Amino acid sequence: MALTPETLPRHELNGHWVTVVDATNPDLVGIAGRVVVETTNTLHVDPAPAGSAEGDTRVRQVPKRGTTFEFRLTDETADPAKGSGTASEPDHPTGEDAAHVTVDGARLLSRPALRTETTGDSKWR
Amino acid sequence: MSVAAERIERLGDLAREATRAGDEERARYYVRLARRIAERNRLSLPRRFKRFTCDACDAYLVPGRNARVRLQDGHAVVTCDCGAHARYPYE
Repeated sequence: MALTPETLPRHELNGHWVTVVDATNPDLVGIAGRVVVETTNTLHVDPAPAGSAEGDTRVRQVPKRGTTFEFRLTDETADPAKGSGTASEPDHPTGEDAAHVTVDGARLLSRPALRTETTGDSKWR
Repeated sequence: MSVAAERIERLGDLAREATRAGDEERARYYVRLARRIAERNRLSLPRRFKRFTCDACDAYLVPGRNARVRLQDGHAVVTCDCGAHARYPYE
């Protein structure tokens, strides 16, 4: 079960590049960065690429409810065979081969460890 | 590989990167989350994850940064900065 647009709501969100495309709070729209911490109701988004000293370096806490996120999936994160060393490098919105997946934040409302369990991969259940 | 196993692997990578970047608390968060996922899904953790995380303080151990690895007769001893030792056999 690779990381695909279908499995993304059950998969690990930490480390992915995300953009807030729509939110009930207009101040949140446009926040972009890597997801660094996930809680039941929020995502913490770190806008700074690692190592850069730009102005907006604060980690923003974005509620999941009422927000639409656009995740950027690169080939390397979608391919488990070669993912180990490179998957966690900071993603910059540069690659043309990246897939953009829009997810309603309400689908992500769950404790991070339990999100995988709602529908399992197991065949016998 | 199931989604849960992939999440654990990915969290291990994230924890390693966070420790190398100097953010050990965030690494601990990733390690705890990975352990929780393994527990909930009844998966054993990957060997690399088991050997390079601290059982006592959940730190992701990077030898040279927050861990010491000493080879003894037939086993290696990994010492975390928190003082906990872990041993594993070799050869």
